[in-house]
Amino acid sequence: MAKKPAETSETVLDIRGLTKSFGSNLVLDGVSLTVAKGRTVCVLGPSGSGKSTLLRCVNWLEKPDQGAVYLSGRRIGMREGGSIPMSSSELARERARIGMVFQHFNLWPHLTVIQNLAEAPIHVQKRNRDEVMAEAAALLDRVGLAAKKDDFPSRLSGGQKQRVGIARALAMKPELLLFDEPTSALDPELVGEVVAVMKTLAESGSTMLVVTHEMGFARETADEVVLMDGGRIVESGEPSAFFKKPKTERARQFLQRYVS
Amino acid sequence: MTANAFLSLLQGAGVTLIISLSGIAIGVPLGLVLALVRWRRIPGLSQVAAVYVSLLRSTPAVTLCLLIFFAVPTLGIEIGAWSAGIMTLAFVTAAFNCEVWRAGLLNFPHEQVEAARAFGMTPLLRLRRIIFPQLWRAALPGLVNEATLLIKASPAIAVIGVAEITRAATRIGAQTYEPLPPMLTATGIYVAIILVFVGLQRLTERRYGRGAGA
Amino acid sequence: MMHGFDVVWEHSDRLLWGVLNTIALSIVGAVLAVVFGALVAILLMSPNRLLRLSVQGLVDLMRCVPFLMLVYLVYYGLPHLGIDFDNWTAGLAALALYNTAYMAEILRGIWSGLPRETFEAATAFGYHGPRLYTRIVFPQVFLAAGPMLGNQLIQIIKDTAFLTIIAVPELTQAASGIQAQYFVPFAAFIAAILIYWALCAIVEGGVALIEKVAEARR
Ligand SMILES: Nc1ncnc2c1ncn2[C@@H]1O[C@H](COP(=O)(O)OP(=O)(O)OP(=O)(O)O)[C@@H](O)[C@H]1O
Ligand SMILES: [Mg+2]
Repeated sequence: MAKKPAETSETVLDIRGLTKSFGSNLVLDGVSLTVAKGRTVCVLGPSGSGKSTLLRCVNWLEKPDQGAVYLSGRRIGMREGGSIPMSSSELARERARIGMVFQHFNLWPHLTVIQNLAEAPIHVQKRNRDEVMAEAAALLDRVGLAAKKDDFPSRLSGGQKQRVGIARALAMKPELLLFDEPTSALDPELVGEVVAVMKTLAESGSTMLVVTHEMGFARETADEVVLMDGGRIVESGEPSAFFKKPKTERARQFLQRYVS
Repeated sequence: MTANAFLSLLQGAGVTLIISLSGIAIGVPLGLVLALVRWRRIPGLSQVAAVYVSLLRSTPAVTLCLLIFFAVPTLGIEIGAWSAGIMTLAFVTAAFNCEVWRAGLLNFPHEQVEAARAFGMTPLLRLRRIIFPQLWRAALPGLVNEATLLIKASPAIAVIGVAEITRAATRIGAQTYEPLPPMLTATGIYVAIILVFVGLQRLTERRYGRGAGA
Repeated sequence: MMHGFDVVWEHSDRLLWGVLNTIALSIVGAVLAVVFGALVAILLMSPNRLLRLSVQGLVDLMRCVPFLMLVYLVYYGLPHLGIDFDNWTAGLAALALYNTAYMAEILRGIWSGLPRETFEAATAFGYHGPRLYTRIVFPQVFLAAGPMLGNQLIQIIKDTAFLTIIAVPELTQAASGIQAQYFVPFAAFIAAILIYWALCAIVEGGVALIEKVAEARR
């Protein structure tokens, strides 16, 4: 267990008072959360508690009703001053600073594995093609998929797809990585290979906000866990404390149900 | 545009409808015969039917119409423009209808045919009493769809001078030196006819399910 | 009758010229229709309801009009607007305009059937505007569109025959010319029909090839 001290207090993600409703359904109810550089924060919570919505508000895939999101001190979604929404091209530029890994991988089926990695760095970030391709090959090597670089995603297993999904996010050199239940769509025997990749990422100093039901990953790898319920954060803290001595009744109930 | 001109456009629309419906009346049963020939794999005939369908599906109605109108008389058979027009549309739509019927036949539950055979029904009796009463329902939406497409293709027969609606419109345009008003009016009438067929198609789809196999 | 085919063979250069025109009209018409159709499909997928419904209305209207009618409208209508066309260009314009509606509807149908998630992933990775369409959406749409685009191309090839009515020098026009001059209707039009058949077979072969490419990605 490589717990990183919070000595690098440089804040990468700062979420302040996010509120979001779908119709009359209040999904986020004033959520505030910070993630410091190099830290891994796991978001736990029952289904429907608003975890995905929280992640999607971070990169403005979902527009929150109230509250603000700052990435390395820069406001996302709103221009300086906070009253004028960003144009779609400004928003796109901010989104490119955040990597996202999806529950159902969402790889681009018309591109090969390595093209999936290189696509956005070349066409969104306008980086040099040769450099990007070299980096993409190295990343594939790192997630153990160098041999699959010219295959199409449809030919991969779920675990391989998700490792490509992670490598694709890394290829953007993002300041922050968002994971939305990256292992939930996988067969149980494939979860391990993805968790292993995520662990090495966390240990090598990536800044990660991870929604997961993988309690083992949260306990061993997270620097902080956050429990959401009904659109609020009901408890947060170091994983050792959270899993051993939860402070709230809600957390005790949750752990009873999900950790056995 | 005078009332007279409008009347002759309506007359043209009548011609379009009569010729198209006649073509459909011949083409639908002809398509069924072709489909049965292919379905029963009647040696020789089945291959002929397959080639016919493939050929006709890639033949423009205009070209086929010219062929029939000019070539049939060389065989010593008199043929008027109307008959040539009806034959053209019938032959074209038969090829497409064959595919609709065939899809219905291919989707027909094989157990039922077996059962009918077990009861000693002859092939013809099986077709009449067991298959057809169910088949036509499945095929109807597809057939109405093909009918709509045929009406849209029917101006092809203007090429041999049949006074259908587009032809009527060009004639009025040539007489008045104002081609656009009769053209636009004719288009409006056409759209109305097609919309009726599209409505009919929706109705049959709702009643008998979507697609030939439903 | 065999004599007729000899005559047609002697004048095969005229048929060849006709075929080349048919091919040129079909390909240029289809390419224009696909490009414009893709742009119209973007409007058909617009979140703006009013825009979407009015464009859909225009597309549906166009699909109710017989092709020959549109040919006449373009042929007589454009000079009326002060734009002078030769017959060939008028025919091409009608072909492109008419099939734009069909292509748009084909592309919209496929697009709306694709899972939205990969588009959303692209948005999350910083795609927006035209690049989202050219890099992520349309490659997937076209990958699934092969058979339907092939069918429409066959329809376009057949539609070019209508252009003989406004004297565009395409294949049926060429066959008509030979038959009028030498009175060999049977041979002239059978030859034309066989050539149309071959063209459509080539399209189907092309579609089969494209399907192999698409299959690898499914
Ligand atoms: N686009 C949407 N429109 C309407 N309601 C939505 C939308 N997205 C989410 N919701 C609702 O918001 C609530 C929270 O959803 P969310 O997906 O954030 O939950 P979650 O914590 O991620 O759950 P899970 O563990 O099942 O993924 C749910 O009640 C859901 O039905
Ligand atoms: Mg979720």
